[in-house]
Amino acid sequence: MGDLLSGQLVVATLVLGVIYGLVALGLNLIYGTMRLLNVAHGEILMLGGYLSYWSFTLIGIGPLYSMFVGMALAGALGALVYHFLCRRVLSASKLVEQIEANSLLLLFGVSIILQNVVALSFTATARAYPYLDQIIPIGNFQVTANRLVVLVIGLAVCVACILFFRMSMTGLAIRALIQRPDAAALVGIDVERVRLISFSLGFGIAGLAGGLISMLEQISPFMGFPFTIAAFVVIILGGLGNLYGGLAGAFLLAVIEVYGVALTSASMRSILLYGVFIGILVWRPHGLFGVRGAAR
Amino acid sequence: MFKRIVTTLAGLAALLTATAVGAADPVKIGFSHSKTGIFAAAATSQLQSYELWREQLNALGGLNVAGTRRKIEFVHYDDQSNSGKAVQIYEKLITDDKVDLLLAPWGTSLHFAIVGVIERYKFPVVGNTAASVQLRDLKAGNIWFLTSLFPDRQSVELAKLLKKQGVTSAALITNLLPYTQENKKFVVPALKKAGIKLLVNEDYPPNVKDMTALLNKVKNAKPDAVLAYTYPGDAVLYVKGAREVGLNAATQVVLLGPQYDFFAKIFGPARNGLLTMGHWTPLRKDWPTAQKFFDDFKARWKTNTDYLDGPLAYMSVQILQQAVAKAGLDKNKLRQVISSATFKSINGPVRFEGVENIALPTMISQIQNGQQHIVWPADQATSKIIAKPAWK
Amino acid sequence: MRRLPAAPLLILAGGMAVFATVPLYGSDYIIGVALTLLMWIALTQSWVVLSAMTGYISLGHAVFFGAGAYVMVLTFGVLPFWISVLIAGAATGVLALLVGYPCLRVRGPYFVILTFGLAELVKYIVINIEAALGKFGRLLMGAPSLDQLFYVILVLAAGSMVITYTVRRSRFGAGLRAIRENEGAAETVGINVARFKVLAFALSAIIPGMVGSVVVLRTTYFEPLDVFNPITSFTIVSMAIIGGGDDVPGPVYGACFLVLLQELLWANWPEIYMILLGAFLVGFVLGAPDGVQGRLAVIRRRMAR
Repeated sequence: MGDLLSGQLVVATLVLGVIYGLVALGLNLIYGTMRLLNVAHGEILMLGGYLSYWSFTLIGIGPLYSMFVGMALAGALGALVYHFLCRRVLSASKLVEQIEANSLLLLFGVSIILQNVVALSFTATARAYPYLDQIIPIGNFQVTANRLVVLVIGLAVCVACILFFRMSMTGLAIRALIQRPDAAALVGIDVERVRLISFSLGFGIAGLAGGLISMLEQISPFMGFPFTIAAFVVIILGGLGNLYGGLAGAFLLAVIEVYGVALTSASMRSILLYGVFIGILVWRPHGLFGVRGAAR
Repeated sequence: MFKRIVTTLAGLAALLTATAVGAADPVKIGFSHSKTGIFAAAATSQLQSYELWREQLNALGGLNVAGTRRKIEFVHYDDQSNSGKAVQIYEKLITDDKVDLLLAPWGTSLHFAIVGVIERYKFPVVGNTAASVQLRDLKAGNIWFLTSLFPDRQSVELAKLLKKQGVTSAALITNLLPYTQENKKFVVPALKKAGIKLLVNEDYPPNVKDMTALLNKVKNAKPDAVLAYTYPGDAVLYVKGAREVGLNAATQVVLLGPQYDFFAKIFGPARNGLLTMGHWTPLRKDWPTAQKFFDDFKARWKTNTDYLDGPLAYMSVQILQQAVAKAGLDKNKLRQVISSATFKSINGPVRFEGVENIALPTMISQIQNGQQHIVWPADQATSKIIAKPAWK
Repeated sequence: MRRLPAAPLLILAGGMAVFATVPLYGSDYIIGVALTLLMWIALTQSWVVLSAMTGYISLGHAVFFGAGAYVMVLTFGVLPFWISVLIAGAATGVLALLVGYPCLRVRGPYFVILTFGLAELVKYIVINIEAALGKFGRLLMGAPSLDQLFYVILVLAAGSMVITYTVRRSRFGAGLRAIRENEGAAETVGINVARFKVLAFALSAIIPGMVGSVVVLRTTYFEPLDVFNPITSFTIVSMAIIGGGDDVPGPVYGACFLVLLQELLWANWPEIYMILLGAFLVGFVLGAPDGVQGRLAVIRRRMAR
């Protein structure tokens, strides 16, 4: 039993939770403000990973710097995708269901394009590089340095986002748009601008997360899909459009993954994960922290 | 306007056919390739080996078809890592594209999938990247398997190796995918027979994201040896996790992973001492073309080949090349030559009995000084087994 | 709906008759393409009964396809082929009845991801069962010939269309569409919403289960990751959205469009066909947000004017 409280497992849970949280945050932002189902989310992460990989192997710049470049570029890509593609879906579709269906198809197309352009350019071979992989002892356990870095930076980004949503005018406008899309325009919010920012920020966070993740695992053109799925599970668990709920969902998932395996068997991992997910939804059809009606 | 385009195109086509007929017709060779989907990352080296071979032969004037040199032309399609698609592609290649020869798709499941098609058309194919006891039990007459990594024999040899290393207890963690499960099925009784106690025996799903809890259990059991029956993706999780929790057993087997270039890039010297599966290394001096293949691959693709699929794919085309030189393109003659002749390859001589390559014994490899050596059995080894140093 | 209702049925019957002759002259490759096309028509058609009619978008129909395949694998060589196909349909129908009630309380995007999770859950359960049985991928030798499989799929595709057609024109179908428009209102006018939804779910599960059980014999190899592949679910949804509407023609348009487009691109531009396919999807959503059906309706209206 003492084993369960060991720092080793706690740190593993936190690292995993922060990764899930970051990936889900951007997705939640895009869904919450516009009802766009961004199934290309994992591909943006993949692009961030490739950027960090190439800048490390070609010009020796580490992911700690390049991930911010990745964030900026992903944000710019987001702005382009929003401006040229998603905006037209939003204006052409009247019903929420139609926005969801059309954005699913549209962004599915975008994800196929991104995967295959990368595969064509760099082949589908998995790639990886060593970065900050020394072992750091902390008390009676040890952690790889890059995992600590991911934990610290990931938490910092989450906190920064929370502050942004609470303090800045733009952040407040985003939250207003999530909570009352119909009323937001009435109180003088420039809906178009806020949507552009949300979309771009959502992509940007995914790009940054890609840079972070490239320190921990190998990258390949088709790595994105599992992350997209994990992110959807997380935000559904927490309640769609609920940014804090999403973070809670991320840590819940991480707890199941680490402690579920510790208490039962590793073979149960995915069954537990999806079992708990389904159980929670059946128990609370709008997620743990979702408000009835808000998501529809 | 439209008419003019058509006339020009027709003229161009006539010109092209004229030149093509002038020389000997190219040999059309077809195959399906997992360009997208779950196998894509693993299947790249197979295609690279095929392409390397084609370029090398075309530079020499082409493939020797019973005495005539003919240029090689590939016809290949993406099977999306999907067995249904692979079946469809081989049907298309045979009936629609009417190719002269076929190469193998990637992986055990796609090999399984196309057996039905090539049996129906009696079209001989030299398989490469597949190993399953079930394949051996196939009474197929048109497909052959090069590898000796069949899980039953591999498990027996591994148990012998562990016993010789003085291992008395082991922990086994196994990915729930087919090849690793098959190995698990055979290694558990083999360990028992060798008197090695199994302290941990757990499976994990292929989409695992963190192994800390599992490896903590393994570490607490204090086994002499750890058998990590991984696929390449989770092999990375295993090594990262084992380093972090300080799992320092002196014998660690990582089934799939250490053979790949990306694994070398991410772990560098940390992977020294890991045992892994494999029966090929450029270091064997009695396989004179092995080092040449390694160098040629690197020169062409600016990356190292892995030690499994790249060489296996290249072996399969080497065998086809030698068979076609003798038999030409006639399917019946080709089948007869492949199933009876002895061939030279980058992995030593090849001779088939039934579907199996009996000239290649089962072997086990180890990473030493950044290179993959064969360390078992002794008469095949390029180096002695070393104890795995503690993770740094 | 004022058009002659028999006309589309006649067209479909004619189409099926044409399909039925394919094995007489087509190469194996052509038969294979036709089989694939019919398979997607059957799957998408079934999906429409639940998702297009009620508005509950299922992103988990691979679960029925996979479960059907698994039933076939477990009974292969033990029971006659026909019996296995029927059991597969019955089993997936029962599976849908069992999970339907709790799952269909969940709505909108929550339902979308819930169904996805359900498919993944069943996939991993099957993976664990196979491991416990000591199986590692199963080879199915001695399956019926390609022609036989083709005709079974043809019948299933026709059956799926008849189901959609009948449901769409029944009181049951009217009830389902009332649920889509306004679930609360449907309840107040006396529709047993819960029962209607669960029945639609079960009805949409039977044919995919049977299709899965047949298609696994075409590939002669069974691996859970393959038959429960989430791409199957995504493709069904894509085809339905492309086709548009909640009636028989939509899925036919969608499946034809995507299968033939893929076949065309794949055979002619093998290097970049996926990129082209992605571009087509994007262009399609921008050009025809209401699907092929919506587009056709617009054209028809213009012609009539």
